[in-house]
Amino acid sequence: MGLLSALNAGRTSLHTNQKSIEIVGNNIANVNTEGYSRQRAELKQIPSVIFGDFFVGQGVAVSNVRREHDVFITRQLQEKNISFGEENSRSLPMRELERVFNISGENLASEVDRFFDSWQELTTNPSGQVERDIVIQRGQLLGDAFRNTYEEMDLVSGNINNSIVAKIPALNEQLAEVARLNQRIHMIEVSGQTANGARDQRDLLIENLSRELGVKTYSDNRGMLAVQLSGGTPLVHGQEAMTIETVQVGSDVDLRVRMGNSVRNILTREMGGEMRGLFEVRDVFIGSLRTDLDNLAVELTSAVNDVHDNGYGLNDDVQRIFFEDLSGPPPTENASRHIRVHADIAGNAGNLAAGTEHPAAPGDNRNALEIAGLETTYHITGSTDTFDNFYAKMVSSVGIEASRNKIALGGAKDATMQLTNFKDGLVGVSLEQEMIDLIQFQRGFESSAKFLSTIDEMMGAILQLRR
Amino acid sequence: MNATQGTTFRMLGSRLNDITNELERLRTIGATGKKLNAPSDDPAAIRPVLTTRKQISNVDRYLATMGQSMDKMQATDGYLNNVENIMQRVKEIAINGVNGALNDADAAVLADEVAQIRHQLFDTANGMVDGKHIFAGYLEQTKPFSLNPDPLHNPEDPLYDSTLYDPNNHLTWPVIYNGDENRTELEITPGERIQVNLTGNDLFLGTKNWSQPPYNPPDPAGNPPNGIDPGRFNLFAVLVNTENALRTSTPAIPDPIPGGFDFDPRATALQTQIAAIDGASEQNRRLRSQLGNLTRRVEEATRHQEGVVVDLQQILSRYEDADAIEAFNNIIKQETAFKAALSITGKISRISILDFI
Repeated sequence: MGLLSALNAGRTSLHTNQKSIEIVGNNIANVNTEGYSRQRAELKQIPSVIFGDFFVGQGVAVSNVRREHDVFITRQLQEKNISFGEENSRSLPMRELERVFNISGENLASEVDRFFDSWQELTTNPSGQVERDIVIQRGQLLGDAFRNTYEEMDLVSGNINNSIVAKIPALNEQLAEVARLNQRIHMIEVSGQTANGARDQRDLLIENLSRELGVKTYSDNRGMLAVQLSGGTPLVHGQEAMTIETVQVGSDVDLRVRMGNSVRNILTREMGGEMRGLFEVRDVFIGSLRTDLDNLAVELTSAVNDVHDNGYGLNDDVQRIFFEDLSGPPPTENASRHIRVHADIAGNAGNLAAGTEHPAAPGDNRNALEIAGLETTYHITGSTDTFDNFYAKMVSSVGIEASRNKIALGGAKDATMQLTNFKDGLVGVSLEQEMIDLIQFQRGFESSAKFLSTIDEMMGAILQLRR
Repeated sequence: MNATQGTTFRMLGSRLNDITNELERLRTIGATGKKLNAPSDDPAAIRPVLTTRKQISNVDRYLATMGQSMDKMQATDGYLNNVENIMQRVKEIAINGVNGALNDADAAVLADEVAQIRHQLFDTANGMVDGKHIFAGYLEQTKPFSLNPDPLHNPEDPLYDSTLYDPNNHLTWPVIYNGDENRTELEITPGERIQVNLTGNDLFLGTKNWSQPPYNPPDPAGNPPNGIDPGRFNLFAVLVNTENALRTSTPAIPDPIPGGFDFDPRATALQTQIAAIDGASEQNRRLRSQLGNLTRRVEEATRHQEGVVVDLQQILSRYEDADAIEAFNNIIKQETAFKAALSITGKISRISILDFI
């Protein structure tokens, strides 16, 4: 081996160490970059040559720059992000619903109390114009309270629809970006290099998509990532991204995928993550609350009406109902929006049937006593709940769901954080590690330089021989 | 696996966030004094809380109702006291009429007084509380008693004719009842209703039930006329009869049978009436004591319900009120944790490998 080849070996060493330091520098520069994976220079000796009887090395080269990556943890994180997203998106509408179904002094239950209380008050003075007016007013306020609750729920639904619509453009942009990255990775890697940066970016996008839409992914043999909904509807296929569209159905918004010329509706169970959370709160949770509220409205009005039209007012012998009839059949749709005191009663307080005998004497309070008693004696059909208890059950269901959501959200948040930390530990940049690497490669560089100057001295010594 | 800078700061950030959220929650509890601020704070407590609130509002209503009942019953008792005095006075007059050696003119003065007293009783029977006739049953806006002008419709003699009096036909009675037989009931505790008034027919006419017109005769399809229940008394009829007894003429010179009792038709008639007056007073007293018992029941129920409110408020408080000392302790504990977390966060950024190489 000649000195010149030794010089060459020294050169490769200088070059390699310098490259390694550059990579360390890049790692440090990206210490706070989201989704960045630590990169490493893969070193390899340059193939040896036979020199006499020995194989002698020819130096070192950087064969590849590899990123740290762990498929298991990446997948795990993707899964956790789906459940985190779902709980996270539920928490905001749940907080709104907790406000609608509050348990302060003023809510639907207290309005029901006051309505029956006004009947109890009427029993002490059944002919009193003031007491009669109060009953009618309380009936109307009760209707307002129901309407208010219904409309507040509508508002929550409306807000959910708005946030669904608002999320779609960003989702489409991310899907398109995944398709573009697929193409880039393919182009880079077909030439034998590793597309580290593009893969990091793609992983980060998939993490977001999992959280927002709950997508599933798999890689094909060209290094492209296919993105699907859990039902199998493709969203990104190779270099091609589908677009998600919103469709207005009644007052609600549904989603569908456009694939070329065909469209396909997305069902709630195919989604995951934030979208699923939003759809479920809107369709399942608020849906059942609305049914319950309508049910309560129908039961309450018909219970009062049934007793009221057994009695008589002060003016004539006509039996009347107190509330406008919602019981049907079929029961009025959105009954809770339509509770109103019947015009015959509202227009003439004398028609309020406080008495049971015909013609009703001014002091006859028996029917009023009956109606006042409904508050504690009437049971909602198919249960043993009074009006109050039925409402309490609705509020409890909101409370239970909200508190379940808080716990589940806390858990999912912790789990994703743990996994993110774990992933960071495996593939993230640790400054201490990089500093040590920096010293290591710096020493390598210095030694190579020393080696070169030694060779230089040796060559000098040889050149001196001829003097 | 490394503890990277990202891990460290993510953990610290999230920890600080958790602590501030918890601190926020504790401060809400401290500021409102309630541990139940949203349904999710304690879903199991919602039903008892709403039920208890309803019960409290019901009890408040019961207390108000009982207050009104008491007013009404006390006013009624005042009227009954008046009736008692009237009957007392009539009895005195009757006894006076029996004992005294009165001539017809003197007795007529007493009879006039009884007539006067009958008007007083009539006014009492039409008594009002709070703008309503208290002895009219449900027909509280109708004047319950009116004078029976003339059962015979004799235009020559438009006055009441006591000779036609028949206990079993109210059309012949001196005073006509225009109210009804219904007793007003009010709910004073859950499920318990009590009677708060006395009806005019029960108190003054001695009949528990009162059928409404039309009557047979004249209407063949109508109800039979009302009559006095056995053993009871029509107060107005008693007064009219007493007055008539006093007007009975007694010979100026008694029957001159030596050693025999003088026969005095006025005294004999009055003797009968004194028994009736006693019976009528007794009837009034009996009803008055019934009313007194009810008043006592209401007083007791009021005291009981006042106690119930306190109990219910205690229950409510147990569900929704925060323990102030515990709340403030927790806040201090959490603030200490917050300080520690902040201090650690501050120190972390001061230690670096760069200081050592």
